[in-house]
Amino acid sequence: MRTGIIDSANLNGGQQLAVKYFSVAVVLFLAQMLFGLLAAIQFIRPDFLYNVLDFSVNRMVHINAMVVWMLYGFVGAVYWLLEEESGTRIVGLGLGNLAFWVLTAAVAVVVVVYLLVQTGPGNDLTRWFVNEGREYLEAPRWADLGIVAVLGVFFYNVAATFSKGRWSGIAGVLTLDLVALAGLYGAGMFYLTNITADQYWWWWVIHLWVEATWEVLVGCIMAWGLMHVLGVRRRIVETWLYIEVALMFGSGILGLGHHYFWIGTPDYWFSIGGFFSALEPIPLVAMVVHSVYDAGVHKFKNGNHPALAWIIAHTFGNFLGAGVWGFMHTLPQINLYTHGTQWTASHGHLAFFGAYATINIAFFYIAVQTWRGNIWLGGGLAGGGWKWKWALALLNFGVIGMTVALLIAGYEQSFIERAVEGSTWGGYFAAQMHPWFQQAMAWRLVFGVVTLAGVLLLVWDLLTIGVGEMRRAPQLATEAG
Amino acid sequence: MIEPVDPADLRLVFAAAAAIVLGGAGYAGLFAWARLKNRRRWLVGAYVCYAALAAAVLLLARTAHLDGAWQGVVVLMLVGYLLAPHGIWHLCAASHRLERGSRAPPGD
Repeated sequence: MRTGIIDSANLNGGQQLAVKYFSVAVVLFLAQMLFGLLAAIQFIRPDFLYNVLDFSVNRMVHINAMVVWMLYGFVGAVYWLLEEESGTRIVGLGLGNLAFWVLTAAVAVVVVVYLLVQTGPGNDLTRWFVNEGREYLEAPRWADLGIVAVLGVFFYNVAATFSKGRWSGIAGVLTLDLVALAGLYGAGMFYLTNITADQYWWWWVIHLWVEATWEVLVGCIMAWGLMHVLGVRRRIVETWLYIEVALMFGSGILGLGHHYFWIGTPDYWFSIGGFFSALEPIPLVAMVVHSVYDAGVHKFKNGNHPALAWIIAHTFGNFLGAGVWGFMHTLPQINLYTHGTQWTASHGHLAFFGAYATINIAFFYIAVQTWRGNIWLGGGLAGGGWKWKWALALLNFGVIGMTVALLIAGYEQSFIERAVEGSTWGGYFAAQMHPWFQQAMAWRLVFGVVTLAGVLLLVWDLLTIGVGEMRRAPQLATEAG
Repeated sequence: MIEPVDPADLRLVFAAAAAIVLGGAGYAGLFAWARLKNRRRWLVGAYVCYAALAAAVLLLARTAHLDGAWQGVVVLMLVGYLLAPHGIWHLCAASHRLERGSRAPPGD
């Protein structure tokens, strides 16, 4: 094993495939930032790039790039841990590589079509080859089918590898979760002319991916990450994984009801959605108790400070973004005003960053560490590790800044557009023209630039951290097993 | 059917909803720390957080018109947040006991 330089000979087959997924994830992360900034500028200067790259396209690419880079990160993280967790060589590596290239080519084609074609006649041709028209799930039908096929290959590789090697608690939860992940996507592929029925099934993908299957997938990745980075014993992480999965599914599945409030479903969804939404922060509060416990019982001895810092950022980001920000507007008495305003965007920015981006970034650092020959990334890094520390600070400061700015804009919209003006078109424009809204959106742009600076520094750090480092990190994962 | 929040109370409702979860986290965190370090002073702080949480729940219930069946949700929220850290703590202690060679966990 060679240390201090990037050498794929240091990686097993699954990890080599994972690195490809991580690389595309980082590129898509940058694309998400770029198109987010363009959309942010267009909130302030609506004529900016008008009829060249319209706001609707920038927003769509911004959100879809985010969804896809999260998925690339998750798939990469699972391939990363697969051989170590199963104790055997990966099954179907060739198929996995083929699926990676097919998916990446498909993503590239879809983005090019979004940018160059943008719209179609609104018939089957458009739906199949341009844009399916479902917000957040805009991929055309051919790409939808491709995504399910690629996730099918991914599921096969994971299940077959664990079946050939050994099963563990993490393996069992992960495999079952992947069935739900691939299966739920099918719910977004019905074509229904009734908008209520269409929205009903569409929410199954949006909510149950994010607040159920992704949270569980992240729980599995986090469990393995804690064993690898901190040396936490397997029995503990698996016990906690079961508890959190039970709490997450117990509250998350019927919490789906908070999306049904305004789409014409029966009134009982007000109570069901409101009640289970109130329960959704409970697993996140449980994580706070557990992290305090672990902070006391375990010393933070580890050889990968950046990864641990991002895992801690994940715990707090998940709690604040998904828990606090989520609960503030999920009761129907409140949601009547906040639904579809920048309040939702505020919640979305912190929740996606806190719950998902952070854990993916932690895995990027785990990957870099092994890729360079399991080098030491703890205390005493060259330059005091200023790049990863500043990247962490700028990214968190930037995202929290955007969250607060959007919260102010959302509050103004809720108050003026919804409460005072009664959700009329006049109210909509009055809110959009209000100085509070415009100032908040300007601050969102400023903090977006701060976030971009953090991402650029992060990429620079990932490319350079540990160059020439000869010290080896302790093999905690083996001891934890 | 639900009765929406009075526009004049919007700010109070948002603040109360946020205070519920933050109070819950403060209560859970301080409770866990107090049991871990066996310090009663921190436990007092934990219950102060819970009192703040309870006040926020009552404020939310009043301003968001949580009447009728919604009052059941209010009671469940209060009881749930009170008991959850206790239950989670015992689960923590039980799971970590395996790691600590069957020694009693701190504060247990």
